[in-house]
Amino acid sequence: MNAYRDQYAKLFKNGRGVVLVAISADPDTALASWARDSEFPFLFASDTGLAVAKRYGALAEHPGLTNRNLFVVGPEGRIAYRAIPFREVDPTAYTELGAAIRE
Amino acid sequence: MRPLRLTLALAVTPLVLAAQQPPVETKARPPLEVGAVAPDFTMRGATRYGVLANPVHLSDFKGKTVVLAFFYKARTSG
Repeated sequence: MNAYRDQYAKLFKNGRGVVLVAISADPDTALASWARDSEFPFLFASDTGLAVAKRYGALAEHPGLTNRNLFVVGPEGRIAYRAIPFREVDPTAYTELGAAIRE
Repeated sequence: MRPLRLTLALAVTPLVLAAQQPPVETKARPPLEVGAVAPDFTMRGATRYGVLANPVHLSDFKGKTVVLAFFYKARTSG
């Protein structure tokens, strides 16, 4: 998540025209306090019932958790890119993501 | 019981049992493919400034590029 924050201006144009939504099964209060402590500049969404993870295909093998799958939704509402899973320790993952966002 | 009735009873029993099963829970799906329509969702939102008063819908961002980044758990590296 720190990498998303550090790359936020470059990758996500500081939120102009591109919206990053970080999703987990944590309650909204836990997400808010973590975001405050780490000063994350982007939006979090709480998928406590895992309904969204089920619908998108992002359930972790460990029960009760979402995995690290990432989906880019284009302006027309279709999946434009996906990283299954997003390899956050791999620099090329961000390069690919940046290219997918700019298309 | 006559053989025919016995046969019918045995044939019908599994159907009766199947009809009484509870509904199958939503099964895990494979990840959505590129090109698929992204389903709308409703979730409680949060930012560094606190929990959001109104729920977040994908349709709120119509016309924008939206990156949906699932991750394991708050306060972990994932």
